[in-house]
Amino acid sequence: MALRQIRIQGDPVLEKKCREVKEMTPRLLELVQDMMETMHAESGVGLAAPQVGILRRIAVVDIGEGGPGPLVLVNPVLLSQEGEQEGAEGCLSVPKMAGKVKRPQHIVVRAQNEKMETFEIEAEDFLARAILHEMDHLDGILYTTKVEGGLYEVEDTDDEDEEEETE
Amino acid sequence: MTDAVNVREVVLSVLMEITEEEGLSHLVLRRVLEKYQYLDKRDRAFITRTVEGTLQDMLLLDYIIERFSRVPVYNMKPLIRNLMRMSVYQLRFMDSVPDSAVCNEAVKIAQRHGFYNLKGFVNGVLRNIARGQDQIEWPDKNEDPCRYLSVMYSMPQWIVERWIAQFGQETTETVLKRFHEPAPTVVRVMTEKVSVQTVIDDLRAEGIQVERHPYLDYALEISGYNYLQAVGAFKKGWIQVQDISSMMVAEVAAPNWGDACIDVCAAPGGKALHLAEKLRGSGSVQARDISETKVARMKEAIERSGLANIEAMVRDAVIYDESAAGTADIVLADVPCSGLGVIGRKQDIKYKMTPARQTELIRLQRQILHTVHGYVKPGGTLIYSTCTIGADENQMNIKWFLENYPFVLESIDGYLCPELRDRTTKGGFLQFLPGVHRSDGFFLARLRRRG
Repeated sequence: MALRQIRIQGDPVLEKKCREVKEMTPRLLELVQDMMETMHAESGVGLAAPQVGILRRIAVVDIGEGGPGPLVLVNPVLLSQEGEQEGAEGCLSVPKMAGKVKRPQHIVVRAQNEKMETFEIEAEDFLARAILHEMDHLDGILYTTKVEGGLYEVEDTDDEDEEEETE
Repeated sequence: MTDAVNVREVVLSVLMEITEEEGLSHLVLRRVLEKYQYLDKRDRAFITRTVEGTLQDMLLLDYIIERFSRVPVYNMKPLIRNLMRMSVYQLRFMDSVPDSAVCNEAVKIAQRHGFYNLKGFVNGVLRNIARGQDQIEWPDKNEDPCRYLSVMYSMPQWIVERWIAQFGQETTETVLKRFHEPAPTVVRVMTEKVSVQTVIDDLRAEGIQVERHPYLDYALEISGYNYLQAVGAFKKGWIQVQDISSMMVAEVAAPNWGDACIDVCAAPGGKALHLAEKLRGSGSVQARDISETKVARMKEAIERSGLANIEAMVRDAVIYDESAAGTADIVLADVPCSGLGVIGRKQDIKYKMTPARQTELIRLQRQILHTVHGYVKPGGTLIYSTCTIGADENQMNIKWFLENYPFVLESIDGYLCPELRDRTTKGGFLQFLPGVHRSDGFFLARLRRRG
């Protein structure tokens, strides 16, 4: 397994529509594992294949606390949506920025897992937001095109206090 | 996708600013919540509760941490110290957050801030606390009551010591316990504009719980509202937020028709406005304060009130104003103080006060009394008040004042409801104690200038 390079906004690969996955090859399985590792290493809550330069319909999501654990979504399809929520989103491909996006409150999605077994998942609140954000990537859509009220900078909490601790 | 904001990082930065950089808790928190307006309700509630709770119980949290860590809290790096405090608060008081999440998030934060070699320390101590927090040995209530009260109610030991000496252990515990309960909002009804019953009906129609306050017939305790500025009665200018103890100042001052009054430390203006209202359009009230911005805000409040017999002006209470000499029937000296009476509303006050700072405040309080006592006409009234608890800034100052200036204490029993009368009120002063009285902590004394 390895960490993959994250593509940053401006890279044309982020604006392309991804192809469906017909079968899970060893190469694609390795991609899924690398995406999961990369997402966790970057403290993301979701990552889509085009964000690491691969135009296939694969996304991983893990919202951590309060979520169902790591999810692999291959060929995800939105079956139904209900209600509306408004909240802030950020994206590993748009570093240090965030913005307010309206999303449905409650969704049902059908997808395959890494073994190509079909499953359905119901999600609401933040999990619904994360899944829809990643599904947008698969159609070449960045959240920045859906932001209301403009993007704003968020402080980077990394790289502070790089001092040695002694006890 | 990424989380737009890590709420725990926000909590940590707020705590750092308050505990390490002298930020005032209510101001820092208000500023941060304004900045992160776009966060959802749940995240905002988490930030508020974790910050306020960690501050309220800080000494208790430190005590717990030190049962499990060989490094004392004061020797830890500031960031680690505050990270440990907010994490232990979540472990102990927030059931909705799983212990494992608290530990994992704390480790991640330590790592993000460059403390790689402390990951093990943070993780180890927090996991041990999560496992062992039911077997903690607490200070013994009978053997060391001072330490016991200090830890259990997170009040610095020097303050507990003085309160026990003055009020006894039981009363001290009652007061400390009260500070750990949410303080109700008390409002004063502008009876010149509207009847109390109309206001009660109006508030209830909005679904707000209203209770009449036992001490004053125009005071109401309200709860069950989200945002006071949105409450109809507030928008209509019918009510003003003011603690019952502060309302007692104008009650005890008891102005007569046509009296000239000076409030020498008036901002934010509640007591001066109350006095002006009681004058029913007659007389005059000068609302003085040293701060230009505060005076500007008082001018706006006066404008809103529609009262014509009150005026705000910038004046320093320690610079003698010749033109005011012997002009006032009533002088209010509501002096700057340690604020220990309002800890229930501003949790960090207690940690920031030190004996040295208190000594400084006492010097200032006496300087103000010295400067303004001459504004009182012979036969006129001086009301001295503070929002703190303890003899040093209250009774001792009065004693000093009586020894040096031509004033006498006057009974205030005639202005108080029966529940508030005791042997001190007959003597001319009253120390309000939360839990003992239904109010914030407050002190007031009524002094008459000899004729």
